[in-house]
Parts: sequence; C-alpha cells; structure tokens
Amino acid sequence: MTKLEAVIQPAKFDAVKDALIEIGVEGMTVTEVRGHGRQKGHTEFYRGREYTVDLLPKVKIEMVLPDHIVDRAVGAISNAARTGKIGDGKIFLARVDEAIRIRNDDRGENAL
Amino acid sequence: MSTGSQPSELPASNVPMPTPASDFALRNHYRQESQRIQRDFEAVGSGLASLSSRTRLVDTLTLTLWELHFAAVAQPPCAVAAVGGFGRSELFPYSDIDLLFLTEDEACRERIKSAVGSICQTMWDCGLRVSPTVRTLADCGRFDQDNLEFTLSLLDCRFLGGDQPLFERLHAKYLPQLIARESDALLQRLSEMTQDRHRRFGNTIFHLEPNLKDGPGGLRDCHVAQWIGMIAALSSGRRPDLVSVRQNSAPGEMLAAMEFLCSSRCYLHYRHGRDDNSITWAAQEELAARGIATRSGPVSPAEWMRLYFRHTKAVYRNSSQLLGQVSQERSSLYRSFQHWRSRVSNSEFSVVDGRVYFQQGADACEAAAVLRLFTFMAHHGVALSPEAERRLNDAHLRLAETMPQDHYLWQHLREILTLPHAADALRAMHSLNLLTRAVPEFETIDLLVLRDLYHRYTVDEHTFMAIEVLQQLKSSHDQSLRPFAQLVSELEHPELLFLALLLHDTGKGLEGADHVHGSLQLTASAVQRMNLSEEDAATVCFLVASHLEISATLRRRDIYDPETVRELAGKMGTPERLKMLTLMTLADIKAVNPEALTPWKAEDLWRLYTRTAGYFDHSADAEGLDAEVSTEAIEKIIALLPMQRSEVLNFLDGLPQRYVLSHAPEQVAQHFTMTENLAAEPVQLRLRPATGQHELTVVTADRPGLFRTLAGILYAWGMDITKAMAFSNRGGVIVDSFYFKDRFRTLELNPPECERFQRSVRQILMREAPLDRLLESRLKADHQPVKLTVTTCLRYDDQCSPRSTLLEIVTQDRPGLLHTISSTLTHEECSIEVALIDTEGPVAHDVFYITCGGKKLTAAKMRVIEWALSAELGDALPSTW
Repeated sequence: MTKLEAVIQPAKFDAVKDALIEIGVEGMTVTEVRGHGRQKGHTEFYRGREYTVDLLPKVKIEMVLPDHIVDRAVGAISNAARTGKIGDGKIFLARVDEAIRIRNDDRGENAL
Repeated sequence: MSTGSQPSELPASNVPMPTPASDFALRNHYRQESQRIQRDFEAVGSGLASLSSRTRLVDTLTLTLWELHFAAVAQPPCAVAAVGGFGRSELFPYSDIDLLFLTEDEACRERIKSAVGSICQTMWDCGLRVSPTVRTLADCGRFDQDNLEFTLSLLDCRFLGGDQPLFERLHAKYLPQLIARESDALLQRLSEMTQDRHRRFGNTIFHLEPNLKDGPGGLRDCHVAQWIGMIAALSSGRRPDLVSVRQNSAPGEMLAAMEFLCSSRCYLHYRHGRDDNSITWAAQEELAARGIATRSGPVSPAEWMRLYFRHTKAVYRNSSQLLGQVSQERSSLYRSFQHWRSRVSNSEFSVVDGRVYFQQGADACEAAAVLRLFTFMAHHGVALSPEAERRLNDAHLRLAETMPQDHYLWQHLREILTLPHAADALRAMHSLNLLTRAVPEFETIDLLVLRDLYHRYTVDEHTFMAIEVLQQLKSSHDQSLRPFAQLVSELEHPELLFLALLLHDTGKGLEGADHVHGSLQLTASAVQRMNLSEEDAATVCFLVASHLEISATLRRRDIYDPETVRELAGKMGTPERLKMLTLMTLADIKAVNPEALTPWKAEDLWRLYTRTAGYFDHSADAEGLDAEVSTEAIEKIIALLPMQRSEVLNFLDGLPQRYVLSHAPEQVAQHFTMTENLAAEPVQLRLRPATGQHELTVVTADRPGLFRTLAGILYAWGMDITKAMAFSNRGGVIVDSFYFKDRFRTLELNPPECERFQRSVRQILMREAPLDRLLESRLKADHQPVKLTVTTCLRYDDQCSPRSTLLEIVTQDRPGLLHTISSTLTHEECSIEVALIDTEGPVAHDVFYITCGGKKLTAAKMRVIEWALSAELGDALPSTW
C-alpha cells in the first residue's frame, strides 16, 4: 500500500477529484491549506496599501492506495492539475505498512 | 413490601440471587411484551399509547425484580423510584431506564449495593439500558450545581416499590424544601443549559436533518417547559402532579406537538434499533410514507417536515417565552437592562421586559401599524409579546387581505432590511405568515427542505441567516471577517443588497434544475410590483442572477491569475456591485452551515475582492469608449435617445469604460442632454440629494485646474467630499460628479441656499467671481490641527494606462484635502484626466490619472510631486515608488 499526498491549486480540485473517481479511487481526505514552494509569495496593493501574500491557498488531497493503482492515480492527478505554470503543486508517495478498518478490524488492502 | 427492616438485619451478601429459571422467564416475558407493544404501535401509530404500555411493562419488571431481591429477606429502609423519562411515564423503546434507589442513610446504601447490582444485571440481560443511582435522603435534598440533571430528574420521580413513607419524605418534604431554597439557582442553570443546547444547534429549529429530542423545539424543550412549571409550583408551596403542570404550562398547541413528537420518536427508535433521534432524510421519507403522527395518512416528505416544523415552532416559542420570564424574574441586572429598554416605548408600542406590546388604541388590524411594529422590532431587537402575537393572529385574515405588496411595502421593507435586527423581525413576520402575504415570492421556500450534503437549514431560515450574517459582521470577533465589516458600512444602497438576499433562493421552490433562473424571475416580479427605480431594480436583479458567480470563480479559477480578475471585473461592471456581490457571497456561504465559511475561504474571498477592486482603480483609464464601436451598454443609452444616435456616440467618444459602467443609462442620457445645452449655458449643473449626502454633477468644457477649482468651491462652502469621479471625453467636455456631506446642513436647513450655491459654482467656473476670497474665510474657520492617525502613502503606477500615470494617495481625511491635493497637482502643471475619490471613515483614498504636457510623468516629475505633496499634507511620505 502507498500513501499518496498531493498539494494542488484549489481551482483544479474538481478536475482532480473527477479524474480520480474515473480510475476507481473511491476515498480521499481533503484539506484546505496554505503554503508556498519555490513560487514564494508576492506583494499586492489594496487602496494604496501594500500587502504581502506569502502563503498561497492550496488543497491537499491524501489517500492510501493499493500499489497496483498508484501509477494511474499519479497520472490522473498530474494531468488534471497541470497548467504548466509555477504553483501547480506536488505529489508525494510513501509506503504504508498496515491499514485497519476500525468498524470491523479489516486489515491490509481490505481495509482501504 | 416491608419498610421497617433494620439495616443490620440485611447484610448485602445475604441477598439471595434470582434463579436462572426466573431470570429466563422475565427476559422472555419482557421480549414478548415489547414485541406486542411494537406491533400495536405499527398498527395504530400512537406514540403516547406505546409509551404508556412500555412504562407499565418496565414498572412490572422492576417491581418483580424488587420482590425477588428484597421481599424474601428483611429489608432495609429503602425504596425504588422511577425518575427522568421513566418517572414521567414516557418510556421510549430504547430510552434509558432511570432508577433511583433511595435509602435512609449511608450505611443502608452500602448494604443494598449487591441487590441493586443484581436487579440491574437482570434488566441489562433483558436488553434494557438501566441507569441506577443510589442516594440517601440527604443527598437528594442537596443541590449540586454540576449535576443539575439529577435534581431535574427528581422533579419527575414516581414511586415504584419499597419503603413508601421514605419516598413520601422525599416527595413531600426534601424535594419541596430543596426547590424552595434553590429555585433561582436551579432556573438559572436550567436556562444556561438550554441556551447551550440551542447554541449547539445554531439556535434554530430549521435543520434539514433535525434532532427530534435535543434540537430547539424538540422534546427536551417540552420537558424544560414542564420543569419550569413544576419549579414554580413547588417554590410557591404547591405539590403539583405532572398532568396538572402539563395542562397549566402548556397550551393546546404544545400538547399536540408533544403527541406528534412522541409518535415520531417512537418510530425513530424502532427504525434505528437504538436511542437515535435524528430525523435523517431516509427517516423523513419513511415517516411521511407511513403517515406517522400526521392524522391524515401518508404525505410527502416535504409536507411531513412542514408539520414537524410547525409543531417544533410552537414548542420553541412557548419554552423560549417561559425561559425569558425566568430570566426576567431572576437577575436584577437583567431587569435593569430590560427596564432601560422599556424607554424605547412610543405612542404605538410599549416594551415591557424585552417584549413589545400594542399600546391601547393601536390597531393590530391595520397593515401600516403592523409594518411599523416590525420596523420597531428590527430597530430595537425586541421580541413579540404573547399578547401582541395573539392580536396579530386574531387579525390575520384582515391583515392577509390588506397587507400592501407595492411601493408602499417597499417604503417599510427597505427600512426594516437595513436595521440591526432585521433578521429577527423578518422571522417573526414569517412565523405569523405575514411575510409571505407581503412578498408572495417568498412562499415558494416556506419551510422548504432541500436535500444536499452541504446545507443544514431550511431555505427560508438560510435566507434569514444570510441577512443576519451581514448585520452581525460589525460585532464579529472573527478576525477573518473583520475586513468585510468595513465594506458593509461603505455600501451606498445596503437595502438593495438585503432585498437581493431575501429573494436570492426563492427559485429553489420552483420546478427546474436552475434555481438562479427561477429566483431571477421571482425577483423581477417582486421589484416591479414594489416599484423600485429602474436602476435599483437592475442592481437587485443583477445580484440575484450573479449570486453564485464569485463562489464559482473561487472554486474553479486561479484567483491570482490576472485574467480571472479581469473577467470578474467585467462581469461586475462597477466597484459598488463588486462590493455588494462579495458581501452577498460571504453571507450566502456562511449561512449554509456554521462550518461552511472557513478562514481559508474567507481569506480567498477577500483576496479576490481586493484584486478585483484594485483592477477597477487601475483600469479606469485603460480603455476609452470609441465612437465607432457600439456595445450593449451604449445601445441601452441610445435606446433612450433614439433620434440622436451619432451625437450620443460623439459625446461618449474618449470617455473611459468606467464612466458607462458606473452610471445608469438614464444618468448618461442626462449628462448628454446637459452637454447639448452647453452652447446656451457653458456650465451645466445638477444638484440632487443622494442617501444622506448630495450629488453635484458638473458638465462643462475642460480647462486646466478645473477639478481643483471645483474641489475648492465645495470646500469653501463647508462641504465634505466623500466620493468623486472625474471624466473627460475626446471633445474636451468634462463630466465630474461629487458626492458630499453638508457638514453644517446649509442646504438642508436653507432651501434657497441651494440656488445660491449653484450660482456660486457657476460664477466661479466662469471666472465671474474669485475662488480665493471664498476660500479665505473657510481656511480661517477650519484652522485646526489635524490629528494624523492614518499614515500617508503614495504610489505611482506607470503601466496600467497607455496615456497617463496613476497616482494613488492614501491619507488622513481632513477638510479641504481634495482641494489641497488637486491644487498641488495643478501647480506642478499636471492635468487630471480621471479622478476616483473615495473616503472610508478617517481614510481618504484618492486615485488620479495624471499627465503633464499631454504625456505620462517623467521620473523627475514624479519625485517633484511627491515632495510637493509631502510639504502640503504635512506628513513624510513613505513612497513605494
């Protein structure tokens, strides 16, 4: 099992969700986050006053997947979230040793 | 049952255990009887009958077990009593069984422990959730602030078996003494607990999937009303029984509601197989299809929920009134506050203890008086008294016929909508079915449950909450909402935004997938009937039609992409509409459910707003209108002057797009007419009142220093300019609009001064009178130190316009500021091409598009102007240039 964590542009969330559902990914955890990578922030003006926008809005999607579907999920997210500009986001993958469904104690991929 | 046993005669270890055979027989009997009761309920659907049968069954079971464990041996002085819901004989299928084992003293308590354990064990084995408590008489006579539930449960105690004289001592002596002694504290804690519980449910009954027991207006509120009645009776020395308390404290509608709620809760318990009281969507369908508690058989889920809300509304109203009375009787501080509020009484309405009454002679049948009543409530935040409510209900038929729906209604409604407690006044109006008489479009969403996973309240309640969100912005402690509060106070026509909020979801009650389209149709009919001006009607319709626009942009577009901002600005048209729609979006999201507007979303909404507002300021001079290119906006203007198409196009040629977008077609047509009259009168003026201010429009031939002169004249007359827009066309005609506050009420108190004021403007602009002499006296009068609390900020933007340099100034507002700045610019030989002047409280925010010799400013010129302004404004300018 692999844990997939993707940080994407909020505007691309609907497209990414649809793409994941299309390849059979049924569960995900979504969080509204702020952050920046190399993109850093920038300065804006409102009514003549200067504001620094250093943390930009992003959406973080987390899911644990059976290994056989990971590559397809990565592809689906990349294709749906890509604009080609700085700030499109990142995908992180990590091994997961065990998963347990609390309701009935299912374990491993059965619990996903 | 013996009651005379000495504790020493019955050591706990000697209590015989029931035999497995009798245990088995009890379980079997209980199961069979429970099934019979369930079958009866399914056949007849009477919740009250089911509760009564179940109570009798568990009474018998408890007594049998009591006999088994206590009768065979010498008994200590103790009794068993039913408390809580069991004590009230309201035993729902999966309710807890609250048992009180009452003992004389501590020693006795220890001795019965084992027997109590055995009784409970058998009841658990039967599938009953027993909550036993063993207390001495002295325990029961003490009030524990942290365990209010126990004292409340004693109010419902009912003798089952054992030492009856012991129980009577509790019932006749200890409990009345406790209540008499602690009634204030008890009522206060009960009130606090109820308020906390209501707060958990957002203080509204109108949930899409309500909790039938704990939600506002639910069964728990019925109990609260009964407890208040019992506490009142006990503290006055009476010994009430539950039946009499119910009859005395609950009007008929409460009893009907109890019956409805009991039957529904029974069904929910059987359906869920546990003590789960949430009316989920699936449960709503089943309750409706089976006609549970309807008296008229199966109904639609929507109809069943309407019945539910009607009953809970009655319970909520009655229990709230009782709790309100409790609060009044309790706190002297509260009484002082309410006494202070009674001072707001007038010749029509009086306020007593925070509730409004009709004065003697006031006519509750007269629609105008009733509308004034709701205006009064919206102003002062007082609730209807039961008496006023009764009179309005009695007069309902007459009011339904006479309630105005036209411009007369709008005169009242526009006032109600902008007052601080508008949402509560509208709720009261709606609860009396008067809002739907005045605004029939609202009827489509009356108690409407729409099923989605996002919304938590009925559509009508969502609407009231949205209005409330904006009213409460100023007092909100939420940091993420603070910037929006300022926007509310800047609105030129807040009543239009609130009217749009009132109507924005009315389309949800119509057939069809697109509710926005339906809402727009209903809104168009409402604003036409209320006879709003064309401009106001267009604004309200725009807001309703676009109320999902900003949400969609936030969700689907990159808000940091300039193209997103440009498109949104194009859709909004004017900064004022952007401001209104931003607030509408905020209110709409926040009223969906308490968690819907996260700080993350609020911040994104604010960012999108600031970027788009900034775009408006920075694009005012970017695109000029072209006489060769007609647009939809221009065609609307030409439609008003069909015979002068080419002249109108010539007038518009070279004016910025912003000019057309920020003025209604009628206003532009008027400006055109003023231009046509320039040959006869070279200075055309139009002065008109504008929501607490005045608007002066000047149309004349452009010349150097004109804007400075106009600002100077207004300052000299003591006017405080809050907003201004200055535009010029390619033919050299300027159209300048100034919004100003008449600081000394000169024009308001002396109508002839309006004419003298306009004559003065005309004479000075035509150089027939000097400005300097007029200014001298004003400068002397206004010679006072300015308290600088706003740091001056200056910024240039040389990129946003192809022709001009943008100069943006933020500084402390002060008398004559605009004249000071424009004089400085004129002195530096700059020409003001476009000016956008705005004032927000103490902050002046001025944007000028300026040229020097017909070109953009050079770097050297910018620096010179910066120094000059620094000297004039008396503040070191931290330039960002």
